[in-house]
Amino acid sequence: MIIIGERINGMFQDIARAIRERDGSIIQEWARKQEQNGARYLDINVGPGSTEPVEAMKWLVEETQKASELPLCLDSTNYDAIEAGLKICKRPAMINSVPAEAAKMERVFTMAAQYGSEVICLAMSEEGIPKDSESRVALAMELVATGDALGVPIENLYIDPLVLPCNVAQDHGPEVLETLRQVKLISDPPPKTVVGLSNASQGTRDRELVNRVFAVMAMANGLDAAIADANDDELMAAVATARILLNIDIYCDSYVDVFKQA
Amino acid sequence: MALEIQKERYRSKVGEVVLGATKEQGGTRSHTVTVGGESALPFLHFEGEMPHRPVIALEISDMAPGWHPCFDEYYADVFENTAAWAKKCVDEYGADLVQIRLQSADPDLKDRSPEECAATVKEVLEAVGVPLIVVGCGKAEKDNLLYPAVAEAAAGENLLLGVAEVENYKAITSACMAHQHNVIALSPIDINICKQLNILIAEMSMVMNSRIIIDPCMSALGYGIEYTYSIMERARLGALQGDRMLSMPMIGNVGYEVWRTKEANTPVEENPGWGERAERAVLWEATTAMAFLQAGLDILVMRHPHAAALTRQNIDELMQDNSY
Amino acid sequence: MGLTGLEIFKHLPKTNCKECGFPTCLAFAMALASGKTSLDLCPHVTEEGKAALESASAPPIKLVKVGTGDHLLELGDETELFRHDKRFFHPTGVAVLISDTGDAAAEAAAFDELEFDRVGLHYVTDVVAVKCDSGDGAKYRAAVEAVAGKTKKAMILLCEDPDLLEGAVEAVADRKPLLYAATADNYEKMVELAKAKGCPLAVRGEDLEKTAELVKKIVALGCKELVLDSGARDTSKVLADLTQMRRGAIKKFRPFGYPTIAFTSKEDPLEEIVQAGVYVSKYASIVVLKTAKREHLLPLLSWRQNLYTDPQKPIAVEPGLYEVGEVTADSPVYCTTNFSLTYFIVEGEVENSRIPSYILSVDTGGISVLTAYADNKFSGEIIAKAMKEVGLEEKVNHKSIVLPGHVAVLQGTLEEESGGWKVLVGPREAAGIPKFAKEKFV
Repeated sequence: MIIIGERINGMFQDIARAIRERDGSIIQEWARKQEQNGARYLDINVGPGSTEPVEAMKWLVEETQKASELPLCLDSTNYDAIEAGLKICKRPAMINSVPAEAAKMERVFTMAAQYGSEVICLAMSEEGIPKDSESRVALAMELVATGDALGVPIENLYIDPLVLPCNVAQDHGPEVLETLRQVKLISDPPPKTVVGLSNASQGTRDRELVNRVFAVMAMANGLDAAIADANDDELMAAVATARILLNIDIYCDSYVDVFKQA
Repeated sequence: MALEIQKERYRSKVGEVVLGATKEQGGTRSHTVTVGGESALPFLHFEGEMPHRPVIALEISDMAPGWHPCFDEYYADVFENTAAWAKKCVDEYGADLVQIRLQSADPDLKDRSPEECAATVKEVLEAVGVPLIVVGCGKAEKDNLLYPAVAEAAAGENLLLGVAEVENYKAITSACMAHQHNVIALSPIDINICKQLNILIAEMSMVMNSRIIIDPCMSALGYGIEYTYSIMERARLGALQGDRMLSMPMIGNVGYEVWRTKEANTPVEENPGWGERAERAVLWEATTAMAFLQAGLDILVMRHPHAAALTRQNIDELMQDNSY
Repeated sequence: MGLTGLEIFKHLPKTNCKECGFPTCLAFAMALASGKTSLDLCPHVTEEGKAALESASAPPIKLVKVGTGDHLLELGDETELFRHDKRFFHPTGVAVLISDTGDAAAEAAAFDELEFDRVGLHYVTDVVAVKCDSGDGAKYRAAVEAVAGKTKKAMILLCEDPDLLEGAVEAVADRKPLLYAATADNYEKMVELAKAKGCPLAVRGEDLEKTAELVKKIVALGCKELVLDSGARDTSKVLADLTQMRRGAIKKFRPFGYPTIAFTSKEDPLEEIVQAGVYVSKYASIVVLKTAKREHLLPLLSWRQNLYTDPQKPIAVEPGLYEVGEVTADSPVYCTTNFSLTYFIVEGEVENSRIPSYILSVDTGGISVLTAYADNKFSGEIIAKAMKEVGLEEKVNHKSIVLPGHVAVLQGTLEEESGGWKVLVGPREAAGIPKFAKEKFV
């Protein structure tokens, strides 16, 4: 499973300050730290309440690319900001994200086809997040069919079944896992899947425990990628172990280290 | 539906290892031999690169090895003269490399000293221009004394030295690190140990990452060949899919394993159902080699010159482009 | 993979009429893909749609049968690119070529004996291919009849002129020979002949693409028991084409959903066997050889057998007492399991010791020493029982036996269970046997 490092997000105080003061060193440090511990993509988010999202996004992309060759995941609801970021990305990036809403799908998938980007597709519509897996899968189908029609290769689409916190929306858990499984039946080749891991533990106690158990459960249901804390060593060890148990990586005694360095 | 040519695209490729060193590089080889670098499964040129063709090493020993009499017509005049034997392998039988097994160092055979063995290696280095593979006698305690002596005596020649195993890899790896040689990492038909051994060696020095050749442990045709074959296919796929600890070229002692079998040695009188021994044995070796080429073997260590010739021709044909 | 949601959706009316009980065609398609509903529920799917969906859910490579009775050869029905993903199912048929200009009867009789025994296994050269070189229909028919009289094995009739072929097919139609081959020039007549006589038909195009096109035409004429030849003869090209055909079949490219046949091009028999070995390795369902010598066929048949073993099932040797060299009543006795690999490694090392010895291969269900020990399948009791079963007491006069070093812990119980035999603890690795034997038995 690919870990998309979540730390460069303006909702963290140090990142928000770095953006305000244009202090690139903090961004670069977090890029390196996440990469060293096994992140394979770096999520970039200017944070809520940014006054100039387009400029902030461009700056974040520049600073991150100074410290890491990893592909970036541009996280914003402002598609102009995403496009500005894509223009200066050194290698194809991931767009985070687009919901199953017609106008937004049109804008984002066209952009993705143009820049060769991967796209995180949210299984939600104007009506919000459905509960049952059939409805989530139906939305996923729409996203896949639309993306395909607009020229995005299906393997570049990452369906996010939308994890909700397990303290307040516990009944969504099994539906999300079922959705991850079913999404693989949509097409051949099938789209990929992704979750924002930390959402599972929003407001719960012992967040790391919830996150890593959910990660492993989701991987057993075919999860391809997760936006997560790449510096949570226990999470990374659990993911490495799950990859061995799922016969994805070949076992060797030092498998945890190998996973981080891969 | 129209025909679509199916091409796999892999994330990664096999690493390259250079064997031997020319004068400019600090050695005395007439040329170097590079193996590995594949970016697709064996011989599927239509979807990737095989920048270096598989190579054939002929196996010699530093003492008369007591092989089947059928080898006399080729080597009887040189069994007792290691350097001449090596030269014959290259000049008359076209070996790309020569592998010397330091059998005489075996305490149960001649128990020759590390210095004597190192001297033999130097003689062979003088006799031929091709890169050399040097393997011990198979007794760990003695071999650990051989490696530093040979490595030092051949410093600068960029040998391929064998073997490192999980239970015993430090002495040989240190010797390779000190004198810049490559190492054969041998695992007992076990892909997990194969991977772990590579990690252990690389942990001693990152430089060794591009100096490891994997030996997954050959088995001969008819004696478990399919176990090694599948391990090799899995390892090669792993390498192409990005598993860096399996991305090393591979070597196999085809000759050694095949010539221990009944099928290579039993005369037709003892088993008429098996046909004449001579061609049966050559084919036993050539078929074993053919199978492992299909699984990704990069260096084939062979014995019979006819089997080696058949294998060379097989490689020639398979290296022809098959793009669509 | 079964049918995907999108694949199914393409054949649905896309009206969202809800008559199937689902809110949208998309939802119905996904439910169908996960096996939760049935296509019958949609009253509006076309016949064409139904056929396409049915064809898409058939296995990747058709099972084609050549020959009859005990010598029926099953080809195709493969699902894998690599044996380690599951296994390969139907071993490549190895065919020997007989020309109608030679002594067909004699050659067929010799062919029929091309069966081999080694390590407790029996290999069979399964197919005879009779070629029309004479250009004479009557002569060809006579040769085919002669061959059919000397062997019951599967047959291939190699003749690309349907008029010349017809008589021969009539003579042996009940043997269900493979007719080789339909080409762009002759396929209509060949299809007629194959259909009329119920025989499988080989198809050869000039290249991979043309072969696919030809297959489509032949299938449209209602002939579906096919074996494909892409037309290539150079080793590297054949490898590429066989790989494409297997990949295409697995990806449900229907024209490649059939077994394959490959022909060697080498004149020298040793080169031919090496070339044939490549084709056996990589997806040929039949390989046709010119050489019929035992020393040539044995290695190829051995490779075929090795490649097609089930990776999940270890191969076992027949348990029992084996003799290595000229044994006498004083010869040492080693014991080990009946896992092939273990047995043969031990046997090899005992041979290297140059001391004639017995090896008692104990039935552990074909698993190795340590695995069997852990599973309680290799214990003092079990070994003692095996010793009794082979009457070891009568065979040797020394009442001692060598135990594999890895299970030294069994020494005590084995001595007890065997009624007082002396148990020597051998080396942990078989490679230590020669040295051990030199120390103990010289």
